[in-house]
Formats: sequence, C-alpha cells, structure tokens
Amino acid sequence: MNFSRDELKRLMLPLIAAAAMLAAGVATIWSANGSLRAARATLAAAQQERTQNAERLARIAEEEREVKEKLDVYQQLKNLNVLGEERRLEWADALARIRTQRELLDLRYRVERQKLLHSATGKPANVDFFASTMRVELALLHEEDLTRFLADLRASGNAYYSIKRCTLERTTQQATGLTITPRLRAECVIDLITIVDGAAKT
Amino acid sequence: MAAHHVLYFTSEEHLLYRSSRGTLELDTKFAADEAGVDAFREYLRGRRGALFAIVADVAGEDFHEDQIPFLRGADREAVVQRRLAQRYRDTRLAAALSLGHVTTPERRNERLLLASFTNTNQVAPWLDALEDSDARLAGVYSVPLLAPALVSRLGHRAGRSFVVTMHRAGLRQCFVEDGKLRFARLERAVDLAPQALAAFARSETLRLAQYLMTLRALPRDGGPVAVLVVAPQGQRAVFERALTSDARLVFTTIETNEAVRKVGLRQLPAETGAEGLYLHLAARKAPREQFASRDDRRRYTIWQLQRGVLAAGAIGLAACGLYAGGKWLDALDLYGRAQAQAREARTAADQYARITAAFPVTQTSSDNLKVTVLEFQRIVAGSPLPESALIHVSRVLERFPQFELDRINWSVGRPDEQAKPAAAVPADAKPAAQGESAVRLEISGRVNATQRDDYRAITAQVQRFAGALAVSGYQLARTQLPFDITSEGTLTGDIRGAGADSGEAPRFTVVLLRRLQ
Repeated sequence: MNFSRDELKRLMLPLIAAAAMLAAGVATIWSANGSLRAARATLAAAQQERTQNAERLARIAEEEREVKEKLDVYQQLKNLNVLGEERRLEWADALARIRTQRELLDLRYRVERQKLLHSATGKPANVDFFASTMRVELALLHEEDLTRFLADLRASGNAYYSIKRCTLERTTQQATGLTITPRLRAECVIDLITIVDGAAKT
Repeated sequence: MAAHHVLYFTSEEHLLYRSSRGTLELDTKFAADEAGVDAFREYLRGRRGALFAIVADVAGEDFHEDQIPFLRGADREAVVQRRLAQRYRDTRLAAALSLGHVTTPERRNERLLLASFTNTNQVAPWLDALEDSDARLAGVYSVPLLAPALVSRLGHRAGRSFVVTMHRAGLRQCFVEDGKLRFARLERAVDLAPQALAAFARSETLRLAQYLMTLRALPRDGGPVAVLVVAPQGQRAVFERALTSDARLVFTTIETNEAVRKVGLRQLPAETGAEGLYLHLAARKAPREQFASRDDRRRYTIWQLQRGVLAAGAIGLAACGLYAGGKWLDALDLYGRAQAQAREARTAADQYARITAAFPVTQTSSDNLKVTVLEFQRIVAGSPLPESALIHVSRVLERFPQFELDRINWSVGRPDEQAKPAAAVPADAKPAAQGESAVRLEISGRVNATQRDDYRAITAQVQRFAGALAVSGYQLARTQLPFDITSEGTLTGDIRGAGADSGEAPRFTVVLLRRLQ
C-alpha cells in the first residue's frame, strides 16, 4: 500500500503519539529497574548490618571479658604516662636520677625528634603510636651497670622503652689507680614510645 | 467509541441511522433521487471524517457461483477481479465471497460466490457524495452479506438455514450454508395483515427452497433445512401457527425483540423493522466481505491504521507498565525485607548498647581500648630485652674460661637485614618470613691459652663455643675465625720456633640470631 503525502501527514501524529507512549513505557521499565537495583542494594546493606550486629551481640560475653582484660593494661599504660603526650623533661629527670643513684661514671644521651610509628584505626578516633629515638652512651665499671640502668629506665615510666640496639665493649683505657677508670662502654639505641588515643576522655 | 452512520439503501428511499454504544437511532431520511443526493451532500457538510457504511436492501442483487484455481495473494486477486469483470459490467460494487475449496480430478479449485447489484448507478452518486465530503466509508454491504452474521447470532452456526426477516423493503430471505451466504432474495410485501404475512413468508420460503433445489444449491435428500423467521413484535403466535414444519423445512420463529437482544442491540428505533438487526451488525460487527472498492475505503483504511498505530502504542505502554509494575512490586517487596532487616539490626544494636552500658567504665571507647592494647602488645612482642641475651652469653662463657670477650652487639630487626652471608650459617636455616623480626647477637673476643698457629685447635674451640651459644632458640648465623679456612679465601701462616709467639691471642666473631614470635 502506497501512501500519499497527505495520508502520511495523517499517520504522522499517531506514529509520534505511539512512539511517545513506547518511550514512556521504556522509561517506566528503566525507572522500575533502577528502583529494583536500589532496593537490592538497600537490602544487601541492611542484611550486612543485621549480620554484623547479630555477630557482635553473639560475641558480647567474649567482648566483655576482653574489655576487662584490656582495661587493666590500658590503665597501667595511663598510670605509667605511656598514654598521652610525651614528657621530655621527665625523661631528662629520670636519666639524671638514675646516673646519680647508680653512680654511673659517664652518661650521655640524645633524644631525636618525635616521629609517628603507627596509626591504628579506632572508633571514634584513631590511636597514634609515636616514637622518639634516644641514643645513650654509658661508661661502666661492670656489665651489670647496663642491666641496672635499663631496668631503672623502664621503671621510671613516662614512655615504653623499646631497645633497638645495645653495644657493650671493653675500653682501651688503662687503670691508673688514682681515679676510677671505666672498664666498659655501652651504647644503646632506644625508642621512647608514647600513645595518643584520640577518643581518650581527659 | 466513534459513532457510525449507516445509510439504509432501498429502492424507494434511503434512511440514515446513527449507531453508538449498542443503540441505533434514525437520524434522517433521503429521497432516492437527485434531490436526495443533494440533501445527503448537505448533510455531509460539516461531518468531515465521520464514519459511514451503506447497507443496500434492494431486489436487484445478483449471486453467481464460480470456481477459480486455488491461488493466493496478488495472483488470486487478479483472477478474482478478472472473473468479476467478466460477470459484471460495472465492478465498482462487486464482491467475490469464498465458499471454500473443492478438489477436481484436474486440480484444486476455490469456490466463489460472485455478487453485485444489477444497477450500481443507484448507489454510485451516494458514494461520490461521500468521497467528496471527505467522510470515511467503512464499506458497502447488502443485507445478504450480513445474513451469515445474523444467523450466527441467532444461534445457528452450522448446516443449512434460511433466515427470513420482514423489512421496510419487503420480505428478505437469505440462504446460508455453514456460515457462508449462498443465495438471497427480496420480495415486496406491503401492508399485509399478520396472518397474511406469515402465510406469505411460508409460501415464499417454500418457493425459495424449490428454486434452490432446482439450481442444485440445495440437495433434495440433504435433510431438513432450518428456517429462522424473525417475526414482528407480538406476532410470534400467529407466525408459529402459520409456519408449520415438514420434512424439508423446520421453522423456528423468533420475535424481533429477542433477535434484537441476541445481536447486542438495546432496542430498535421506531418505524424500523428487522432491517435494524442488519444495520446494527453493519455498524458494529461488519463482515470482511463487502462491495466497496479499496479506493472508496481508502480514508477508512487510513483511519484504521491511525487507530491501529495508537492502539499498538497504548498496548506497548500497557505492557511496559505491567512489566515495570512487576519490577516495582519486587522492589517494594525488597524494601519491605530491607526494613525488616534494618529493624532486626537496630534491635541487635540496642541490645548490644544496653549490655555494653553495664561494662566496666573505661576512659575511652571499647574499640579504641582494644586497638590500643592490641597494638601496644604487638610492639612489646617485637621489643625483647637485652638482659636475657647477656645472661645467656654469661652462662656459656663460664664453661669456656679460655675465651675472653671484647665486644657484644645486641640488636633487634629483620633477620634478612641483620644476617650477613657467612659460611657458618646452617644449611637448614629457614628463610625469614615477611614482617618477622629477630634478635641479633654479635660477640667478638679472643681465645687464650692456645697456640696462635694451631689453627685446628683454635677452630675446634671456637666452633665448640659457638655451638654452646646456639641453644635456647639462638641460631648460629656466622662464625668468623682468626684465619680464613674456606676455599674462597686465602690461608696464611707464620710458623716459628718455640718462644717465638707474639703473645696476641687469636680473635673471633660469632653472630647469633633468635627469631621473635
């Protein structure tokens, strides 16, 4: 069947209307598919949240025990001032006190700039672990002076003392008999670690 | 639904009916002459695009049965048109009705009933008027063409039957066989009394049956033929008395109102006989077979196409809507399930919060508490004390008094960074895993009370000393002797007489590793 120009003109409007209806139909399907995808995502998220919450609830007894255990350690860290900003003056005081108490012949130290050791992800804030590297040189009469020094240092608190290196060697100095001559020299590298808990209540 | 106009065409006058939603109304009448055509043209003015059908109820209608070869498509159309042209002088209003197929010894043929009006000139001016007015002509029908549809509506779908109706134009008789029109005639019957009309119907039906038998259109031994007589309203009893059945004809009388109901019409207009049944069928249930040419119906065809396209679009939209509706229902279901899950999650969270509220008071959050302690414990695990190493060395040294130490270097780090390549590394030493750390202990000293040039004795003593150190988790990483006894090195000696020793004890270095857990 051949159509004249006039007939084609008459058919044009219904064709446009039909095309518009089909387009509207396709748009409806597209929109429905979008809604379905969004609903699936919502359901998946809700299911995941429910599973997580249920698992957390199931573990609550274990968590309570864990909290109690960890609370002791945490409290110790707080009491020892490992938690909180670093206290350089206290470190200097402690070193001077140990030298005097242990009658160490010579004690030299140098504390480097603080650096971030590790940032652990917490909730609601991160927990940052900082380290300040200290180099200590000691003149010793006996090797036990070193172990006593290290023990005193740990007991002084204000940081966790993580010893990275310690060298103990004989000195070449000969004893004169007039003065006390050190027989050993020790050199240690120690990380003074402090912890800043972003969620800690002051 | 669009209103249909049906022009009822008789030889005396033409009546225009309007059909809409199961009703049929007589709109106007036109004389069957030039004046009538003019009046019709006037009527059509202002009804541009209206739908029209013509139902002719005239006596001069020809029916002729013919056969053509069994063909399809354009070939069949060409043969049919040729047969019509051979039969009728004017084919503008001619139709070929298929009666089915017949197989002859030579070939398979199609049976046709060729039909037309003996005088098409009476209809042509009215068609021209419609054409000029831009109205849409749905078709030109004759009452016989609509008879199969009426017979079917009256409940007789198969077999042979006569349908007899009283029209304004006269007594109409149509012969229908298996839903196909075979023959029809119109006999004038003006102003007859009911009894006379019933008797007239019976006698004319018998005449028609006799005539069809003569033509062999109705077999003599084919059994009784059903005769459906639509009697005027209130005359059923009269007709039933007059129309007595016999071996050839079995009469069934139906009153007009019952027939009206059966064809789906609400009621017949005043002054309208049983022709109203046919007019309604022409407007609402028109058969495919009709007389108008394709050109005469072109505007109607375009209109049908327009509606078809719109209907296709609407059906497409509805289908998409249904499909999308299904998806939305699924989405609603999923949202409902998600809400249920969220409620359960909230309940669990509330329960968790209630229980944790009873936990010991902390100065930080539970998460931070755990993170802080766990990370601190990890640091502690990687920070061993040097004291234990010094004690270990001290205990071994007590068993080797000839050994004197000059230097102890204790350090912590990755074992691969600390262990230098050395001949003394055990062959079965495991490679360090990523992230592992170890304590490294480098011990340097001298071996006393042994002759400097007694390489074998010195080597044996150093190896025994190193072996004694490599216990309690310590592994021997390297042993450096005062001399090189490996094949890759250079071995030197200065063997002198007794008392020629310089006095300096031979030096050694032992490197130990202890992996941290």
